[in-house]
Amino acid sequence: MSGIDNMGSVRPDLIEKVTGRAEYVTDLTVPGMLHGFVVRSPAVHARIVSIDSSVARSMDGVVDVLIGEDVASFGNWGVVLKDRPIIATDRVRYVGEPVAVVIAGTIEIAENAAELVDVEYEDLPRATTIQEALAEEAPLIHEHHENLEDFYFRGGARPTENSNIFHTYRSCVGDVDAAEAAAAFIHEDHFTFPAISHFAMEPHAVIADFRGDSLTVWAGAQTPSAVQKVLSRLFGLRLARVRVIVPFVGGGFGGKASVKIEPLVAAASWKVQRPVRVAQSIAESMLTCRRLGADITIRTAVDAEGRIIANSAKLLLDGGAYSDTGSAVATKSANRIMGPYVVPNVRLEACAVYTNTVPGAAFRSIGGPQAVWAKESHMDNVAAAIGMDPAEFRLLNLASRGERIRPDLRALDMDMSELMGRVTQSFASEVKASDRQERGLAVAATDPANTPISNAIVRLKIDGSILVSVSSIEVGQGAHATMGRIAAQTLKQPISAVTVLRTDTSVAPYDWGTGASRSTVVVGLSVESAALDAADQILEMVADVWELPRENLLFVEGGVSTGSEVLTFHQIFHRSLGVDSGEVIGRGAITPRSKKGALAESPLFWETSAGLAEIVVDEDTGEIHVPRYASAADVGRVINRVAAEGQDEGAAIMGLGHALYEVLEFEDGQPINATPIDYSIPRISDVPPVFDTILVENGDGPGPGGAKGMGEGAILPVAPAIANALFSTYGIRITDLPMTPEKVWRALQKRN
Amino acid sequence: MLPSPFEFERPSTITDAVRAFGDSGDGMFYSGGTELLLAMKLRVIHTDRLIDIKSILGLDRIALTDANDIEIGARCTHNKIARDPVIRQYVPALSSLCANVANIRVRSVGTIGGNLCFGEPHADPPTMLAALDARLVLQGASGTRLVHVDDFIKSELETVREPDELLTVIVFPRPTGPVTYRRFKHGERPSVNVAMVWSMDAAASTITSARVRVGALGSRPQPLKGVEDALRGLSVAEVRPAIEAVLPTALDELEVNEDRHGAADYKRHLARVLLLRNADEAIAAGWSA
Ligand SMILES: Cc1cc2nc3c(=O)[nH]c(=O)nc-3n(C[C@H](O)[C@H](O)[C@H](O)COP(=O)(O)OP(=O)(O)OC[C@H]3O[C@@H](n4cnc5c(N)ncnc54)[C@H](O)[C@@H]3O)c2cc1C
Repeated sequence: MSGIDNMGSVRPDLIEKVTGRAEYVTDLTVPGMLHGFVVRSPAVHARIVSIDSSVARSMDGVVDVLIGEDVASFGNWGVVLKDRPIIATDRVRYVGEPVAVVIAGTIEIAENAAELVDVEYEDLPRATTIQEALAEEAPLIHEHHENLEDFYFRGGARPTENSNIFHTYRSCVGDVDAAEAAAAFIHEDHFTFPAISHFAMEPHAVIADFRGDSLTVWAGAQTPSAVQKVLSRLFGLRLARVRVIVPFVGGGFGGKASVKIEPLVAAASWKVQRPVRVAQSIAESMLTCRRLGADITIRTAVDAEGRIIANSAKLLLDGGAYSDTGSAVATKSANRIMGPYVVPNVRLEACAVYTNTVPGAAFRSIGGPQAVWAKESHMDNVAAAIGMDPAEFRLLNLASRGERIRPDLRALDMDMSELMGRVTQSFASEVKASDRQERGLAVAATDPANTPISNAIVRLKIDGSILVSVSSIEVGQGAHATMGRIAAQTLKQPISAVTVLRTDTSVAPYDWGTGASRSTVVVGLSVESAALDAADQILEMVADVWELPRENLLFVEGGVSTGSEVLTFHQIFHRSLGVDSGEVIGRGAITPRSKKGALAESPLFWETSAGLAEIVVDEDTGEIHVPRYASAADVGRVINRVAAEGQDEGAAIMGLGHALYEVLEFEDGQPINATPIDYSIPRISDVPPVFDTILVENGDGPGPGGAKGMGEGAILPVAPAIANALFSTYGIRITDLPMTPEKVWRALQKRN
Repeated sequence: MLPSPFEFERPSTITDAVRAFGDSGDGMFYSGGTELLLAMKLRVIHTDRLIDIKSILGLDRIALTDANDIEIGARCTHNKIARDPVIRQYVPALSSLCANVANIRVRSVGTIGGNLCFGEPHADPPTMLAALDARLVLQGASGTRLVHVDDFIKSELETVREPDELLTVIVFPRPTGPVTYRRFKHGERPSVNVAMVWSMDAAASTITSARVRVGALGSRPQPLKGVEDALRGLSVAEVRPAIEAVLPTALDELEVNEDRHGAADYKRHLARVLLLRNADEAIAAGWSA
């Protein structure tokens, strides 16, 4: 970057961030705002016998205390299953569940008074693990299951009555039994995956301002339209009266998707009829949601040549105390365990199960890390069992471009063998990190639930400046800059002419939400189409007023070229409208019907990645070092290289986190490391010193300029790639994460 | 995540600091606050009064005395010790320990005194200071006393220090042989650490005495008596087999907690690995008197 000249190409949000001007929810104050502090359940599963908030209420500065009975009449909410009370009423189902909100003039008073809320609990039988929840005599964590069909995602959950299973998904292709009967070899493995904390640097923070029949919410929400919808239904408000404003968000990763603490804070504001802010700590956010743990059995049958002829998998997911989007996570885990392979006979079953632990939630590549951990570890096991090189075994079984992995999913839109080749090449071409051959490979293909529903507004003003309005949130990924760039490129104007408005549902048009790697593609397309609509209106004016054939008119920087001269936007508006003012409003909408239905088939694109890891193990301690890693993804087209590489690297390092360090631990339901001190995430010193990101661009994606979505895929191969390196070099197979030094050491002891 | 209300004082002399406790005896010294404030914010520590010792002059000196003792003021931050020329010259292993404790924020405000007084078992400096045979100067209302680091930590988060006693200085003899330290950590704090200090004879060929401490396994650093005994009077060349011969028994005698840092057998094994690596380093380093 050299000097001021290039500042125009720097993402505007980054300048705001490094100058400290960027506003997050906790930087905002609303006149008359009070502060809420949440009293949480210390009990794993218990009946609430009584709540005495009188002492807290009598404290100076305390305005009120919200408890369950205040809002029980509003009923439950949810995005797939309606299983969640606004605040615990008669019962708590996990440690950390909100039981009261103390509302006071300052945060200090609220927190001090919170210690004085006296809650009496009577323990209930608990089910804290998948096994306990599925046991014959397991206590029911929810007595009934109320399904909301098509509420958030297409479809709903398939709960099993009188059980803790809140969703089962099955998919069968061909005849697995027959194929297995004819197989030359069958191999089965079992893997587990732990609960993982999202660990966003910004914990959940919400301000809610309830005024009569309208409600304004400031929240770091990834899916503002879902927040709006849930609040509208829950409190009986018209959608147009529920306004969700999303300032900068300090990390989401799915932990701020769907709906989290917004109903709770809105209820607090409803109770006192004043704005209320709840700003959680990281420790509290670790008790708010987490990735679903999993227990996975996977089996593969191959023929004599090593071709996979049948694949079956059973995935049990630990959904925690409330379902949130756990059903979708389960479904996706089943789809994602298939990998980029052609297999004629497939039998998949995934169940999401309630347990008395922190609620599960979407998390970067929902269900993907769990599934790919099992699948890609298993692939190397099968290869070893039949005496094949694991890379060759994969190449033999890969689906090629245009081939379908499953009949109901879009054909694969990329070449996985190319990604495998590129990561291998990366290791060969660069300066050698070492001469060691301690390497492991893994690949992944996932089907993002990218929901082709989005709207955008692009306004072109008389001076050539452009306003873009979308509901995508800016969570550090650079979505707003990308939308601005797409508008600028479509209208042939400099990027500096564009302003992207902050997310506000009362200004921005409807969009499904920020997640599932969809924004660049789906929202990007709607921005592109809104920009084209704006351009169309300008060209219409010129053609009409100047009486010129439209086909000769061209957008150029600052105006329109007629072939013989350039008319500035100023001239165009002035002469067309008669006054020296005005703007055109371009509208872009993407629906499953757009592009002649080309976007309707799922997934919109495949999110793919390959990872190659080199490891060094200290055999005395069991510690794994990763001196080198290569990550490749097919992204169609790169729109902002720095941002795209950052997303890929960030995802891979997040994968390194659950591979080596992270696990949200529960002991009989009690979280034991749910603080940022006790929970370890990778640090910069843990990042592989040699890290290569390869982004393959063939311009063949459905998004603007041929872009595909990205940002989630690179999290997937890391753990199995490292585990496969351990397997091939040290002869040990780790089947549960994280691969801590102690686990590795024990496996090495056992091998000896 | 805010502490409950408290009073705050900032005395400028040791006497005032000790006196600040008054008759109630209520209050806590506040140094860098890296442990204390965290615990207060989590509301696991409640105190009515914080007595900030940052304004007391002279508590952050490091010096080699005429008696060949090294003195480290209790208010020295980890960073200060890491960069101090005296420490770097005479006890480079302590300098590098302090350069690698915790994270950069903790190192720049957290102090060695605060580390010792908190009594956290998963800590680095206590193990090293115990091996260095350090004594702690405690100054209270009823006078000054010296306590060996070995005797200072009673149990997890508990020391022999009275609430109104201020730790002022840490004193240990200038080492006359190699000092080695290793820790193993996977996460925020060390799971196991081992410090070994040899005193060499004038010719720098024989170990006249050795002190070995294993930390983080029990509630406080523990001596490896068997190893210390075996090393006494040995030449450097004889060290490795001598340690290996006694190590299994010595390790078995250690008190080892099973905790999130690992099971007992694993942590015992790690102590062995670290000790042998320390020995190899000490042997390789050579020592010239
Ligand atoms: C994230 C994190 C990671 C860490 N990792 C490590 C690690 O890997 N290894 C390690 O060894 N340590 C580690 N620590 C601990 C760190 O070394 C200590 O927090 C620091 O040294 C404490 O010093 P302080 O001045 O901040 O103490 P304070 O927090 O101010 O005080 C701690 C306690 O000591 C008392 N106290 C302080 N000074 C005196 C004094 N002079 N006389 C009497 N009483 C006193 C206080 O009353 C209080 O009870 C870590 C800490 C954190 C927060």
